[in-house]
Amino acid sequence: MGQALKKARQKRKLVGNSDAPQVGTDHELDDLEMQVVRYKPDGLDELVRNTKFSKKELQLMYRGFKQECPTGIVDEDTFKDIYAQFFPQGDASQYAHYVFNTFDTDHNGTISFEEFVLGLSVLSRGTLNEKLNWAFNLYDVNRDGLITREEMFLIIQAIYEMMGRYSEPTFEGVSPKEHAEKIFQKMDLNRDGVITMEEFMDSCKMDENITKSISMFDTTL
Amino acid sequence: MASVAAWLPIVRAGAVGWAPVSPNPMPPVPVQNRRPSDEKIMINVSGRCFETWRHTIDKYPDTLLGSDEKEYFYDEENNEYFFDRDPDIFRQILNFYRTGKMHYPKFECIAAFDEELAFFGIMPEIIGDCCYEDYRDRKRDTSERMIDDRLSEDGETDQSYSLREKVWRAFENPHSSTTAALVLYYVTGFFIAVSVIANIVETVPSAALPGTVTILPYGERYELSFFCLDTACVMIFTVEYTLRLYAAPNRCKFMRSVMSIIDLVAILPYYIGLFVKDENSDLSGAFVTLRVFRVFRIFKFSRHSQGLRILGYTLKSCASELGFLLFSLSMAIIIFATIMYYLEKNVAGTKFYSIPAAFWYTIVTMTTLGYGDLVPTTIMGKIIGGLCSLSGVLVIALPVPVIVSNFSRIYQQNQRADKRKAQKKARLAKIQIAKNASGTAFVAKKKAAERLMQSGGSMEEFAAKMSGFEQQHHHLLRCLEKTTNREFVEMEYTYNGVPCSRTPETTTHHPQSPPLTPSPSTSSSHNSRTTGCCGRKRRSNSSTRYHSAPTSATPTSPNTPQDYNDIQIRVPNRTSRADLNARGYPKVNSSIPTSTVTTAIVTMPTPTPTPTTDVESNQSGCTNSSGGSPNVVRISAL
Repeated sequence: MGQALKKARQKRKLVGNSDAPQVGTDHELDDLEMQVVRYKPDGLDELVRNTKFSKKELQLMYRGFKQECPTGIVDEDTFKDIYAQFFPQGDASQYAHYVFNTFDTDHNGTISFEEFVLGLSVLSRGTLNEKLNWAFNLYDVNRDGLITREEMFLIIQAIYEMMGRYSEPTFEGVSPKEHAEKIFQKMDLNRDGVITMEEFMDSCKMDENITKSISMFDTTL
Repeated sequence: MASVAAWLPIVRAGAVGWAPVSPNPMPPVPVQNRRPSDEKIMINVSGRCFETWRHTIDKYPDTLLGSDEKEYFYDEENNEYFFDRDPDIFRQILNFYRTGKMHYPKFECIAAFDEELAFFGIMPEIIGDCCYEDYRDRKRDTSERMIDDRLSEDGETDQSYSLREKVWRAFENPHSSTTAALVLYYVTGFFIAVSVIANIVETVPSAALPGTVTILPYGERYELSFFCLDTACVMIFTVEYTLRLYAAPNRCKFMRSVMSIIDLVAILPYYIGLFVKDENSDLSGAFVTLRVFRVFRIFKFSRHSQGLRILGYTLKSCASELGFLLFSLSMAIIIFATIMYYLEKNVAGTKFYSIPAAFWYTIVTMTTLGYGDLVPTTIMGKIIGGLCSLSGVLVIALPVPVIVSNFSRIYQQNQRADKRKAQKKARLAKIQIAKNASGTAFVAKKKAAERLMQSGGSMEEFAAKMSGFEQQHHHLLRCLEKTTNREFVEMEYTYNGVPCSRTPETTTHHPQSPPLTPSPSTSSSHNSRTTGCCGRKRRSNSSTRYHSAPTSATPTSPNTPQDYNDIQIRVPNRTSRADLNARGYPKVNSSIPTSTVTTAIVTMPTPTPTPTTDVESNQSGCTNSSGGSPNVVRISAL
């Protein structure tokens, strides 16, 4: 498989970053025809170096990825569709949007295979710090390095929306706003109204439940 | 998305984001026993090899390939799964696993495709949107065809119906029922015509009576005779209606059906008229109106004419197009009438005195009738009138092709149905003849073997002439004969291939086969046979192709002429086996040895209730059953 990838790479002439799309369009028929876009991932060996997956695992993942998205990239609508299929009762589009933005590290609106694999590598095989880092990036919607009350509320609300209407609240159930307030209070250690990365990390590490839960999401492929 | 399973890792990864904000700890992950999923499996379908990853197949665990069921097809020698199915269709099925979308190739037969889908456990509903419409259309066409065939088949089966069912069938399918039904059909048709013509002639003005000035229509001149005619028709219709009501399987549904309402409307005016007549002059106006309803009797003809029914059905199915036509016409009429009215109202002596009056002008113009009783006189009025007639042509021309195409489609379907029925009979006949050829082959082989035996030839060479399959097949037939204590005999076929058996004229228990055609006797030697067979035939109730007739004997009427190619029931016996025969039925044909030969004639003791026949017959080509046994009824043509 690696050999095939290498050969394929040699065959195709790429300019610049392999992540950049190679676009062949017919300008006159733009409206009628789809753009022909090819995305090609980095070499297999490089990915093996950068991620914690083995070669075989990467092969498997790429095959599945390419099978699902023959064009080689995932756009946000597809991502939302996937989430909708997993959580049909509620509206998962908002949470999917945030997760998408977190995976999409270069913020070009699409997730390529490298971003996909890097993200997965962190989340399944990464250290606790790396995972908490990723979670922080998820909550930090505007990517300014700080989590505000509003951002926390947005995330919590998105999570609650995924549950949908037809969910029974437990007797301890609270509204999203209260939940967000509670969490915010817990994490904002210096009470300055924002949560920084260190505060986030520290407060999470202090809570045993969180650390245990996070380590539960290790996946083997 | 083709399959959500492939995205599970990423969604699970996204769930990490819930952990920090969750008040409760997460539940533990279920442990999965995972097989190495990047393993290729080979599928061999009728010689064409397909290979795919195991996890591709595993995507849909409720299908044959995705579940354990495929292990039944595993070929250990070649380490592959072997299916003896159509490889072309399998290609589509495997693509379904790969892409998650099922496509229906347009050139495939829909029945074959359905079968393959059923075999591999895939629901046809999964077919993708791109192909689903096509699939459904073709499926509907073939299912309509199948229903037609089945209906016509049912008409041919010979079950015993209750009186009610018989009457119903006579009414609904007069052509396939007894002659009485046909007679009723034509009689009612005749009376409908008579009634309608009487209605028409009633109003024709006759010559003035001598001595009077007024010209009366025939109806008033010969009032009594017309009344009698009307009474007779209504009698017939009433009888018909009550019979139908009695015979209908579902009376409520019948009463609601269109035809029954037409029937009612056809006869009710008469009865109402009977009660109302001459009592009250006020009501006589209403009575006259009721007479109008008599014209609806003409609709009863739709039972007699298929074309009328198709027309009615077409109109019903084009209801939406007709509605649209009506709606657009009304819109145009209102618009143009309004304009014309306001343009013409101020002209002196104008006939456009109101908008509804202008409606009449608009309708007449739009349908290009142009009676000329209303014409615009102003210049603007004439311009608008011209526009009106031009647009009328367009508006009417638009929905009409839709209606026409619907009609032609339904009409063609009906034509096809009739053609199919005719073809089917011929096809079935040929198939039946071909099938029975194998049956006769068996019997012929037996004959040949017998002759060979008598002529002293060796059996081995005879056996060698038959193929392996034939040997096995005949062996099976012999086992069956042994099991049932009967024998296979030759059959007689009518011209349309339906096997039948000759029945003597005196039978009372008529066997199911249709009346036959006389068949030529195969050999003149057969004519020396005497009777007994046909009487036996009376009891034959089996409907197997081979028409193996039960050998239970009834006393046969001697001297019935027979044709030895027909059914003949063999009641052979052997004295040497008399001990096996509880009844001790005497022998026949003792010279033929019991068979170890493939096609030896098997004679066996037959349990017969009353061996009282005293007919004996000879068989050509074999040493005759020595006379004397009064109970031998050798009727076989073998």
